[in-house]
Amino acid sequence: MKALAVLAVLLAAAVPWTQGRIDARLGTHRAQEEALYLWSGDQVRRLAPGFEDLMADVYWLRTVQYFGGQRVYAVNKRFDLLLPLVNITVTLDPRMQIAYRYGATFLAEAFPIGAGQPEAAVKLLERGVRSLPRDWRLRQDLGLFHYYFLNDPQRASQILLEAAEIPGAPPFLATLAAQVLMRGGDRETSRQVWRRIFEQGEGPMRNNAAVHLAQLDALDALDNLNGAILAYERRTGARPAVLDEIVRAGYRGPLVDPAGVPFAYDRSEGRATLARSSPLWRPNLK
Amino acid sequence: MRRVAAVARNTFRESVRERVLYNLLFFAVIMTLSGLLLGELSIRQDAKIIKDLGLAAIDLFGTLIALFVGVGLVSKEIERRSLHPLLAKPLSRDEFLLGKFAGLGFTLLVNVGLMTGGLYATLLALRRGADPALLKAVFAIYLALLVTVALTLLLSILTSAAVASVSTLCLVIAGRYSDVILNLGDVVPGMPAWALRAVMILIPNFRNFDLKDRVVYGDPVSFGDLGWITAYAVAYTGTVITLAVIALRRRELT
Amino acid sequence: MTEAGPAVDIRGLSKSYRIGHLRGQRRQALRDLSLQVPRGVVFGCLGPNGSGKSTTLKLLLGLLFPDSGSATILGQPIGARAVRQSLGYLPENPYFYDYLTPNEYLDYAGRLFGLPPGARKDRARELLDLVGLAEAAEVHMRRFSKGMLQRLGLAQALVNRPELVFLDEPMSGLDPLGRRSVREIILRLKEEGSTVFFSTHILSDAETLCDEVAVLRGGSVVAKGRLDQILSLDVTHMEVLVSGLGPQEVSGLPAGVEIFRTMGERLVLHVPETQLGRLVVAVEQRGGRVLSVQPVRQSLEDYFFAEIGHPAKGEAWTAGA
Repeated sequence: MKALAVLAVLLAAAVPWTQGRIDARLGTHRAQEEALYLWSGDQVRRLAPGFEDLMADVYWLRTVQYFGGQRVYAVNKRFDLLLPLVNITVTLDPRMQIAYRYGATFLAEAFPIGAGQPEAAVKLLERGVRSLPRDWRLRQDLGLFHYYFLNDPQRASQILLEAAEIPGAPPFLATLAAQVLMRGGDRETSRQVWRRIFEQGEGPMRNNAAVHLAQLDALDALDNLNGAILAYERRTGARPAVLDEIVRAGYRGPLVDPAGVPFAYDRSEGRATLARSSPLWRPNLK
Repeated sequence: MRRVAAVARNTFRESVRERVLYNLLFFAVIMTLSGLLLGELSIRQDAKIIKDLGLAAIDLFGTLIALFVGVGLVSKEIERRSLHPLLAKPLSRDEFLLGKFAGLGFTLLVNVGLMTGGLYATLLALRRGADPALLKAVFAIYLALLVTVALTLLLSILTSAAVASVSTLCLVIAGRYSDVILNLGDVVPGMPAWALRAVMILIPNFRNFDLKDRVVYGDPVSFGDLGWITAYAVAYTGTVITLAVIALRRRELT
Repeated sequence: MTEAGPAVDIRGLSKSYRIGHLRGQRRQALRDLSLQVPRGVVFGCLGPNGSGKSTTLKLLLGLLFPDSGSATILGQPIGARAVRQSLGYLPENPYFYDYLTPNEYLDYAGRLFGLPPGARKDRARELLDLVGLAEAAEVHMRRFSKGMLQRLGLAQALVNRPELVFLDEPMSGLDPLGRRSVREIILRLKEEGSTVFFSTHILSDAETLCDEVAVLRGGSVVAKGRLDQILSLDVTHMEVLVSGLGPQEVSGLPAGVEIFRTMGERLVLHVPETQLGRLVVAVEQRGGRVLSVQPVRQSLEDYFFAEIGHPAKGEAWTAGA
């Protein structure tokens, strides 16, 4: 009897151990990937007629879990899986609005936040707009993404106007359409865009928008700071060695970014920028 | 009529005590409760996921119950001959069949009711509201189950238990793939139009009973729509039961 | 239904089965069978397995359909529903419902006869007492032994106090106590005026119970008649029961004496009537005692072997079980 108990314990211990070995060799996410590449959306639909919505939910859950939403810098995310997962989800349930918005957000954002595929994001939103033509939010997102990610204010404005005409659409869309067209490229418009997205968003999309807003605030703060540095240089004839010097000279603006990380100061260039270590830092921040 | 009720009563009792039923019911309830867990993992989708999962569970497990309990009960009666002493009493074969159908229908009603109750309980526990529109989808699913039960009865009389369960399952699956059947003309080029129509009409169109998507997304389902769906179910089930009555009248009970 | 006519009247019934699914071969189960069963008797339908006994019953009850021929039950053609109010049927190897109890099943049967609730309950209790299942009245039938199912089968056949009862192998699966009780029930039914039609391949049961028998073989009736006429007493030989004789004494007995059976220290001897006196004297001379003397009676088994010949391949007979 004792021998059997011992045997049971040994075998049981072997289970997590062997699992660990398998994971080390093949990676923890392989199961999802295998299942993913077996099916296209239509194949899955054919598999379970009458249960498409449920399957869409399943794929949606996989998408959300796989890409998380809370972590900003992720090491192991494979963004090449995002588009297929989202595509299957919306093939199964073309009315899942949230899948289009989430998918588009993280397709468009630059690596390492997202896949860095803004065209794919826009395509996805277009598909969403076709499936849900009376959904002003999707159309709004489509417009905003044209503006922010594709740098096409004309098209963006057009789409936003279309969105404004959908019954039930809020009045600010028309204003936004005008702003986008007129100012095109300035920070204040961007702020408007991201504010809208922030207000309407939830979860990771909201957080993403919050990051953008914080970045804009940081840029504003940096403008002030760099202006002060320039003024100091002109007054004293030399660049400050450290930022404290301009504080002693009377500067009252923030020296840390909205994430609480101090700005980096490059004396040789005489410019302050976002610290590379800041969570707000992005390459090519505009 | 009283005799039909007696058979129905007996059928209900027998099926309620079959252990298969409890296992299936258990899994169905578990599935719905999992919706609770899964809902937590998503973004703002928990109500939708729970509804999708709950309705899918009722559909799937209801079908399995209809299939296996239905085939088991009638085939078993014929093969094990528990039917024989009953027919020696003033019970006609027709009455027996109708009683069986009524009993199974009632069994399914109870099961579907329990599962629906579980679904609503889950939704209420999460304070997501008990959407009465779900009942329309459940009603349609119940109609589909009655069609399935009728098919199992007919096939159990015509063939053995094993063949009956497999063939009913095939018909149920085929009935869900009605859009594929529509396109059968492309797949089998030589198929004449009348044959295609015939296949389409013969196979029960289970898509008629699938209101899950519409209900979860809040699309309106008018009582007129439900009325026509019910009429289809009555027509189809009525045909199958009538055929079953004829089949049973002619069947030699060795 | 209360006319005076035979309880069962079968005329020229034939039935064949298809064997196998593809070849279209048929087996003739009944060939032009004709039979009358008068009312108020216990009628035995005898024959080896496969002779058509069960088939006959099933045809009479409308479970099978005849190829040709006709039959009436209590004056009504087979299949008539009204007459079933007065019938009872115990099938061979009965199976009921795993998840019901005897009370529930008898209640179900009662409903099918249209009995009101009080009557159903009383009748159920009465019948379960009668067949000795009163203690198992609330046990799920899944747990029943073959003998218990057999008893319940008998009980359900009697729910409606039938005028005509069909029993297919009623003793099967029962222990001696059970068999005795079934015998008593059958005799009581007859006393109450019912007709009992039972089929069996066990001859000793028929011998003790039946008034009339029919013997089936290969789907036809090969012999029938009243039992007291079939089993005539053989008055040429006497059966003598003796005790106290050892083997060596036996060898010295008069010629014509045959040891029919040994029962412990008693012997059953058969002797021609003419030698009876000599035998008695010889037994007493050797120190034995004559316990009883009676005429030799032909058993039903003897009748069978005489009328029907020896069993063909595949047939199974049992003299007694």
